[in-house]
Amino acid sequence: MTERDIDRERELDKHLPLPPAVFHILIALGDGEKHGYAVMQDVADRTGGKVRMSPGTLYGSIRKMLDEGLIEEIFLRGARAAAKEDERRRYYRVTKFGRTVAAAEAARLSALLHDARVAGLVPRKG
Amino acid sequence: MRLPERLFRLVLRLYPHEFRERFGSDMVAAYREARADAAMCGRRGSFEFWTGVMADALVRAPGEHMRMFLRDLRYAARALRRSPMYTLVAIATLALGIGANTAIFSVVHAVALQSLPFADSARLVRVWEKNDKLRIPQFSASVPNYVSWRDRAQSFEQLGAWRSGSATLTTGGEPQRVSRLEATANLLPLFGIRPIAGRLFTPEEDRLGAAHVALIVESVWRNRLGGSTDILGTPILLDGIPYNVVGIVRDRDFVLPIHCLTPLAANLAVESRSNHMMTVVGRLRPGVTIPQAQKEMDAIALQLGQEYPKDDADWGVTMASVYDWLVPRPVRTGLYLLLGSVALVLLIACTNIANLTLARAALRRREQAVRLALGASRIRVVREVLTESVLLASAGGAVGLALAYSIMPVFRTQLATVLPRAGDIALSGPVLAFALLASLATGLLFGALPAFLNSSRDVLDALKADGRSGARQGIARRLLVVGQLALATILLAAAALLGQSFLRLQRVELGFRPGNITTAMIGLPSSRYRDHAAGWQFYSRIISELSGTAGVEAVGVTSGAPFAGGNTGQPVRAQGANALGNESLQADWRMVSPGYFNAMGIPILRGRSFTEEDRRGGPGVVILSADAARRFWPNEDPIGRSIVTGEPLRVVGVVGDVRNLNQALDPRPTMYYAATQFLWPSMTLVVRTTADVPVAPMVRRIVSAADPQLAVFNVRTMETLLETSTAQPRLTAWLVGLFAVLALLLAAIGVYGVLAYLVTQRTREIGVRLALGARPGSVLRLVVGHSFRLSAIGVALGAAAALLLGPAIESQLYGVRPRDAATLATVSAALLAVALLAAYLPARRATRVDPLVALRVE
Repeated sequence: MTERDIDRERELDKHLPLPPAVFHILIALGDGEKHGYAVMQDVADRTGGKVRMSPGTLYGSIRKMLDEGLIEEIFLRGARAAAKEDERRRYYRVTKFGRTVAAAEAARLSALLHDARVAGLVPRKG
Repeated sequence: MRLPERLFRLVLRLYPHEFRERFGSDMVAAYREARADAAMCGRRGSFEFWTGVMADALVRAPGEHMRMFLRDLRYAARALRRSPMYTLVAIATLALGIGANTAIFSVVHAVALQSLPFADSARLVRVWEKNDKLRIPQFSASVPNYVSWRDRAQSFEQLGAWRSGSATLTTGGEPQRVSRLEATANLLPLFGIRPIAGRLFTPEEDRLGAAHVALIVESVWRNRLGGSTDILGTPILLDGIPYNVVGIVRDRDFVLPIHCLTPLAANLAVESRSNHMMTVVGRLRPGVTIPQAQKEMDAIALQLGQEYPKDDADWGVTMASVYDWLVPRPVRTGLYLLLGSVALVLLIACTNIANLTLARAALRRREQAVRLALGASRIRVVREVLTESVLLASAGGAVGLALAYSIMPVFRTQLATVLPRAGDIALSGPVLAFALLASLATGLLFGALPAFLNSSRDVLDALKADGRSGARQGIARRLLVVGQLALATILLAAAALLGQSFLRLQRVELGFRPGNITTAMIGLPSSRYRDHAAGWQFYSRIISELSGTAGVEAVGVTSGAPFAGGNTGQPVRAQGANALGNESLQADWRMVSPGYFNAMGIPILRGRSFTEEDRRGGPGVVILSADAARRFWPNEDPIGRSIVTGEPLRVVGVVGDVRNLNQALDPRPTMYYAATQFLWPSMTLVVRTTADVPVAPMVRRIVSAADPQLAVFNVRTMETLLETSTAQPRLTAWLVGLFAVLALLLAAIGVYGVLAYLVTQRTREIGVRLALGARPGSVLRLVVGHSFRLSAIGVALGAAAALLLGPAIESQLYGVRPRDAATLATVSAALLAVALLAAYLPARRATRVDPLVALRVE
């Protein structure tokens, strides 16, 4: 491992484990840019309405993720903006670093799941 | 707008301004859609939605605020690290300013603000007798009058009393003179004082003929009597009489240092109504006010006057809260004066730092203008500047607090003789709170102006200014200098007035020669010195042996030396034709030996001093002070006339007037009785020596040879007594003087700073002038004239304020009026001179501007 890799590793470790809200938002933004409310809806849909973020949680997390460089704000102009209906809204997308962090979190959870299986804590399907 | 949305917008306000700016409208949009979704789930959905929103705001909003604050703090710390000189100067100035304020406040709090250490102390009152006709505003009470008050008054839950005296304790070591209170049994319970071992007095023990019992204080118990509770129930010897110790009490429960208490056990058969010795203190019933109690006591005093016209006619009653008695108003005024002065110094320091900050801000204005232009909010910029100044002030406050804390032990010991309760000076909660508030207020104060000016929307102007400050900044800085000079003028005027009155006090005509005099007290126990003859025999032996010692010039004995504290007085009439007729004169009295006047250096103006021939049993004689003699016989020779106090006394001499109580009080009419005829239970030896001869060991040796059981106490030189007497005015004058010098220095630095800056600003203009042939002299006049205008306005404002505020310190002044024109004129002139001096360096630099270099500045 090079020194740079170690630095990167450290940088990643600082973010893990991700707070559930942050991971949810990363997942929601995984397939393309969205505005805040679309993220809320996406999360609610995917969890069958079990996770409902309030505007405060959503934008508090977004502010933090912007500061940490996990996501970025994008300015839509012209035709694309018109297509997206509401140009006044701020749109967010995952950064490259955000993807790395999300992947690391997913790997962490997957390893955890594996451990749980080995321990016989996960019911087998069927 | 619908009500719920309004509510949501209200909740949004909990978040920091910036957060709202950034996400507010998105959040409202998200809210609208989320609410619509929630509404579909019915009431329960709405309820859950709203609880979510509220809980979220309550948890997240403070976090967002904290995050912003921490970021501003980091930003400020980084900015300050970039200018270490500015930071250092600001922190040092603030540390001194806040430290001095905290230190003085700790004194004010301990002495004047904290409540008395007694339970429910607001209901405690001190009760005096008074006599308007004899112009005695407050006087101790007689035992029979106290008893009558106690039996008749309804306003008090308890009315207790004590008389203070001293006794020689011979148990547990060398004979030691101890102070003793003879107290009524209800006195300590009245104050809420409890014993730490044993018990207090019972009412039975406070009756005539009861067995002798005593309470002792903890320090005597531990240091002299072994500190074991075995002492309870065993006797100690006071003046040779055994007293059973029944209890031990804490030293600090008593405001004055005392060693032991015995019951008063008054003998009403012998106590006279005209013998005023008792200190009376009462606890008012709940709900009874001092004026109500006063009204009742007035009526009782009137009754007593009718029942005992000989002793009680014209005697009334007056009272004040125990707090007002223990912490007198002039002491409080003096302290508030100190606090005010030191606050002014801090204010001036603030203006200096504000000035410094403005100069620094001018350099950063461009940077901030760029940020404003790029859309940073104005609040954000203001907050950053304020965070920086509060951070500076907090650092200064922390260092200041440490400084104040380190000086507190010095205050505790040095101020103990000057101020009541000085021993309580400590870093208490209120003192900490004061330091914190002072730091915060200071930070906001010197940060506000630069913050306001720097966040101006006039971005374009700022960008053009290119590091030079705008016109508004220039005006602001000049205004600061004017304010600074005004404040310094006020402080300097106060210091000049206090200094003058202190000098006047020092130079006051005392009526005796204080150099090379030592005083020492001796008390003769009545159990072994039963009559006057035994007492006088003892004193004349001591006097003659001391007089024969090398280095001793003269020796006298008095019942009370000047400035030793305490006073004795009584009304007196003259016999035969005199200016006052049958009216009484309230005069002080002392019992003195034949050599007293010689030893003190008090001149004998007419007649003679006492001699050994003025024996007890022979004709009674008296010597009057010049003032007393003049009041009775303004134009005649008083020698051979008689005055009446109890028995008639023939006037044999007239001596010079003496200030007995303190320097500020004019000499009072005084009578001197012959110690050869009357003696007081404790007398003071007055020994005048040729030079610095150690008097204390000499007196101890001679007294111990005459009576090994006697203690010599309160050995002090007259110089010490005089110094102690002026300790408070000296302290006030010195401290206010110190603060004034600081103020002057800070103001001079302020003037210098502004002018130096002005010269830098106008370098180009000055260069052009010089290039066009202006003479250096005219440039000098330009700069100095500018300084003069600023300082003249400041000084004039300050002088006007000093005139307004003057009367507030009248009680602290002696021999000088609070609106003394000469003082004010001198102070103003001095300040103007300092301001001009401070302008000199920048002015000289202006004359040396090289036109070529100056024009190249652009």
